Amino acid sequence: MYRWDFAPVAAHLDLLAIGLFNTLRLTGAALAFGVALGLGLALMRLSRRPWAAWPAGLVIEVFRTTPPLVQLFWFYFAAPLVVGVEMTPYLAALVTFSIQSAAFFAEVFRAGIESIERGQWDAARALGMNRGQALRRIVLPQAVKRMIPAFMERAIELMKTTTLVATISYADLLFAANEVSQKTFRPLETYTAVALAYFTVIYGASLLARRIELRLARSGEGTVG
Amino acid sequence: MRWDFATVIEHADVLAIGAVGTLRIFAICLVLGLGLGLPVGLGRYARNPWLRAPATAFVEFFRNTPVLVQIIWFFFALPILLPFQIGPLTAAVLGISLNSAAFSAEIYRGGIQSIERGQWDGARALGMSWLQAMRRVILPQAIKRMLPALANRAIEIFKMSTLASAVAYVELLQQGKLIASLYYNPIEVYTAVAAIFSVILWPLVQLSYWLERRLKGGE
Repeated sequence: MYRWDFAPVAAHLDLLAIGLFNTLRLTGAALAFGVALGLGLALMRLSRRPWAAWPAGLVIEVFRTTPPLVQLFWFYFAAPLVVGVEMTPYLAALVTFSIQSAAFFAEVFRAGIESIERGQWDAARALGMNRGQALRRIVLPQAVKRMIPAFMERAIELMKTTTLVATISYADLLFAANEVSQKTFRPLETYTAVALAYFTVIYGASLLARRIELRLARSGEGTVG
Repeated sequence: MRWDFATVIEHADVLAIGAVGTLRIFAICLVLGLGLGLPVGLGRYARNPWLRAPATAFVEFFRNTPVLVQIIWFFFALPILLPFQIGPLTAAVLGISLNSAAFSAEIYRGGIQSIERGQWDGARALGMSWLQAMRRVILPQAIKRMLPALANRAIEIFKMSTLASAVAYVELLQQGKLIASLYYNPIEVYTAVAAIFSVILWPLVQLSYWLERRLKGGE
């Protein structure tokens, strides 16, 4: 019978804590860029000008139909040769996950904006607002509220996806686990502890998301996405 | 910078072996993931707490941990508790299938719960047992509503199959890594690999869009 011993893993708690911090930092940064970029992509795709709508559609489709790990490898190993810049694992991961989540957020934004009744646009235009003003002052504030549940779900997905950076040696929580398991020769305890750590953080986020969703549902706001 | 796909085309056979590996693991995980999801989903829906609690724990655990962590756990950690080794394919299949089962369980549960109570009552009134009512009346109607979500799951499973490369299972991305490390042509290789994935996934994505549109039109 195997005897479990978590003491060697606990001795390297600092490494794992740094790993968790890096995971959260990457998730937060990719989320911020992803939302901003996603709004831009959504507006381009909704645009009536084909030279704006078409490339946005292409980016969205390409990033939704290729595996995230392939994208990450492309940005880490191939992109530096194309552009001629040095890529760090963090930068490659940030670029990949920002664009990738932007592609998903763009669809959430689009569904949200399209869910707002035509009358809201018409009324804004009748008050003398131009398209940009109507979007910023009238449509987006209403649409964003409906999009919150889809956003939170995507943010949780993003956090799980960030584990892929361990394959290009960025020191996230999973990579720290590899290191600790090699140092301690205790892969069972290390990976079990790390799986539980991920579960705690992500489950906590899910519970929070569910509560917010419930509150939104009660306040009578429909949801999209 | 000059793009040169000659070495990639020369080694198309290496990529073809990878593509077979990708399709194999996709097929296994699709069947196991969507297949296991149904009993788990029914368990989530059961009135008996002895069935419901473990099903709920399973779903919550596998939905709220990253797949890559699960695959790595099955590959490096689980064999310590077992008297035998676990290969890359088995570890990847375990991780991806159980993860997909947890997600599809929620799809089945939602689909079954969306069927009106009256359908159950009608079936029971005709003398059908619970299982018969489920098989003959509820599931055929529910499956139609679940199809778009299940198609999306299939797409996710296909994309997840690349994670098997993290435990050195021979699939498309793994073979791409091999060629890139031998010929120093990452741009062409990874572009080609991305394109192959896109080409295989494109019809699947279109199918899911079509199913979604049809559902919206039909309901």
